[in-house]
Amino acid sequence: MSALSEGESEILFIDLSRGKAVKQPVKPEDTKLYLGGRGFNSKTLFEMLNGPIDPLSVENIIALGNGAFAGTALPMTSRLHISTISPLSGILGDGNAGGEFSAMMRYAGYDGIVILGRAERPSYVWIEDEEVEIRDASELWGMKSGELVDTLRDEHGDDVSVAGIGPAGEHLVRFATTMVDKYHAGARGSGAVWATKNLKAIAIRGTKGVEPADPETFYKLSREDLEYFKKSEFVRRIYSVIGTHYGMMSWYPGWKYFQSHLGPDDLPEGLRPRDFAEFEVGRTQCYSCPLACKDVYYLPKSGEYGTSSEFESIYALGSNNGITDTEAILRMEHLADEYGMDVITLGDTIAMARFLHEKGLISDKELDGVSLEWGDAEGQIELVKMTAYRRGFGNKLAEGYRNFAKLVGKEVLAYSYDVKGLNRGWYEVDFMNGIFTLAHATSTRGADHLRGRSWAYWENDVNMDPEAVKRMLEAGLPDYRKDPVGALIEAERACTLADSLGRCKGSINMWFQAVPLVWKYPVFKGTAMLLKAFTGMEFTEKDVVEATDRIYLTEMAINVRQGIRKKHYDVKFPPELAKTERFRRQVKRHWEMVDEYLERRGCDVETAYPKREALERLGIGKVADAIDGKDFPEWDGPPLWPLESYPGGE
Amino acid sequence: MFVLGVIYENCTGCHLCELACSYKHGGTFNPLLSRITILTKPEVQTSVQVYCLQCNDAACERVCPVDAIKRDKSGAYVIDYSRCIGCRECAYACPFGAISFDFKARPIKCDLCGGEPECVDVCPHDAIIFGPEEKVSRELKRAKATGVAYGIYGGAESPYRRKKAEEAENFLREIWKRNEGLEL
Repeated sequence: MSALSEGESEILFIDLSRGKAVKQPVKPEDTKLYLGGRGFNSKTLFEMLNGPIDPLSVENIIALGNGAFAGTALPMTSRLHISTISPLSGILGDGNAGGEFSAMMRYAGYDGIVILGRAERPSYVWIEDEEVEIRDASELWGMKSGELVDTLRDEHGDDVSVAGIGPAGEHLVRFATTMVDKYHAGARGSGAVWATKNLKAIAIRGTKGVEPADPETFYKLSREDLEYFKKSEFVRRIYSVIGTHYGMMSWYPGWKYFQSHLGPDDLPEGLRPRDFAEFEVGRTQCYSCPLACKDVYYLPKSGEYGTSSEFESIYALGSNNGITDTEAILRMEHLADEYGMDVITLGDTIAMARFLHEKGLISDKELDGVSLEWGDAEGQIELVKMTAYRRGFGNKLAEGYRNFAKLVGKEVLAYSYDVKGLNRGWYEVDFMNGIFTLAHATSTRGADHLRGRSWAYWENDVNMDPEAVKRMLEAGLPDYRKDPVGALIEAERACTLADSLGRCKGSINMWFQAVPLVWKYPVFKGTAMLLKAFTGMEFTEKDVVEATDRIYLTEMAINVRQGIRKKHYDVKFPPELAKTERFRRQVKRHWEMVDEYLERRGCDVETAYPKREALERLGIGKVADAIDGKDFPEWDGPPLWPLESYPGGE
Repeated sequence: MFVLGVIYENCTGCHLCELACSYKHGGTFNPLLSRITILTKPEVQTSVQVYCLQCNDAACERVCPVDAIKRDKSGAYVIDYSRCIGCRECAYACPFGAISFDFKARPIKCDLCGGEPECVDVCPHDAIIFGPEEKVSRELKRAKATGVAYGIYGGAESPYRRKKAEEAENFLREIWKRNEGLEL
């Protein structure tokens, strides 16, 4: 049995250079301080790396963490958190993927897997409980995600779970993902790091199960949380029917490189939830989740089955490129899974290329005959393939978003709407009282929506259960209309917590999902009760909040070493607008908010370094030792290699 | 007579039933110790459910050399471990593979939780049902008939899912309307 409190689970260190695996028991005090999952990963990254490093160098490491509640009956707790220094952004690159890997890790007795060094030849790792074997993978190299999983299941049994990479990872595409069980992608850029280690996959099977310290209380609380979702009309009639296509109606997908945004009544035919439903043959989800947010679709033209055509893939590959051909979008999404690439960076990089081409900033000569007309679906399917294998123009696209813009020319960087190298569109500071732009600026992995943004204004929670939102506000959840900075910090805590518990933040981002039992015991009381029942250790709401703050400041320190400074908490607008008075005023407001944020987070307002006193208060003064008074070379994205030096690069 | 039935079209393969079952029978979360097993078919991510059908003429009961398997009043064949010699003959005889081994080489099987099956309680998609024969039979017919009527068995262009998605779109608009002027 592997219960955290008994120190019976382990962290598995796999050193590929030496061909050795070493195990260390998880210390209960680490669970108390960092919870698990993202918390363990960030701690490991901070301790084992000395930054700044080239993410594609052998010094980089990959940490896989399954989260405190992995493998239990608490619903939606099967996220595998993957952390590394990202070849896309050059700072902390982490993310999580679903599937069954995280539960299998727990059943095999591991709460963390850390991969170091570089194998001499293509390898994969086979884990069955205590047995860990590094095996030859020359036959597997080159395989797409689906074939890889099928082959390893033929070899090791149909109940093994597989995390690995596809051809995009092998070709060091900077936004290649770790792929879990064929369809679940995590941590853009991590796929390329696997390849630099000559590691194709990890296949895992665990038989041990997991037993909470107080099974009765833990199960009772888990069932309560499950029943809440099962009874919800919103879940039964919307969430489990259209999944994240809900976002097409609610989240204003970008149109033609964010030149406009589509409201629910502007959606062209082909992009509505009902259009995607026509290709659906079933619904599925990750391990232990009652929501069935993922569609299983069949593509008649190519005869392929795919899974989880999420909102992000539809907007990035579809609407943002002016493409409305439903089947073509699904095909591209499926190809991105097969090659192992992140759909957001892929789609947005292509959209940026179209935009720059239209503006005359990319000449036809550079394109090698590739068409960059808006809405060219067939052409884009070709571009997706070229990018995965770094062929022709695809070699440049494979550098990913901001890096791609840099290659085109320095003046073009103004059109790269990124923060710290990650992109999530551009928004006005006045929109939603500044929380969108602030959230993108303060995210410890660069601009995105999953670090706190969507939780700061509980938009989707209101659609599911407004009464519960009221209770949360009454319990002290800061209201973004009065205190946007406080609302964002609390939202960042929720996301850090979910990532560390292994809990899904929701494919329709919600507090109810990210924070277990928040609808009943707001805000983090329910989590504290569950942690206490599971580990047998005392956990208060304050312990939970402090753990998330500890993790967040540790991540900030990782980024400080990679050269992140105050100036990188910026906000970007299209350059034509940025010059106007309206936008200059908004920039000023943004920096005021950043200052307030840094102050309240316990960071130095001038440098954005986490302050020693804040770190010491959280019991991690050693983090301050590593950064205090030190100057690191200023961040300007990851070091880019000459294009011809990448595998397959032309 | 109460029976347990599975509407396989409704199952999405979340494995929550396995975790609930292993908890109920041993306080631990381990799919290998569950009495119901969900096999995921990787190509299309659909699932096959392996579970005890509590046959009227049960092979497990017949082959047991020590008469350790008896039917209780809930209709379940239950193993009497005070008699069981751990030969696992019952597992080999079961035509459905519904009897597993625990880690002590003993057979384990569904006992219908004494008449209140936990798997039925947790199933989020009403794929596992339990009740009087005629009710389960009726539910099954209804599920199959809905499928046939909407053409979810074969036929490329199924109006069924499109219609459900359209209803979801409309319901979302209803929620927006309901939330207009909401004071928070």
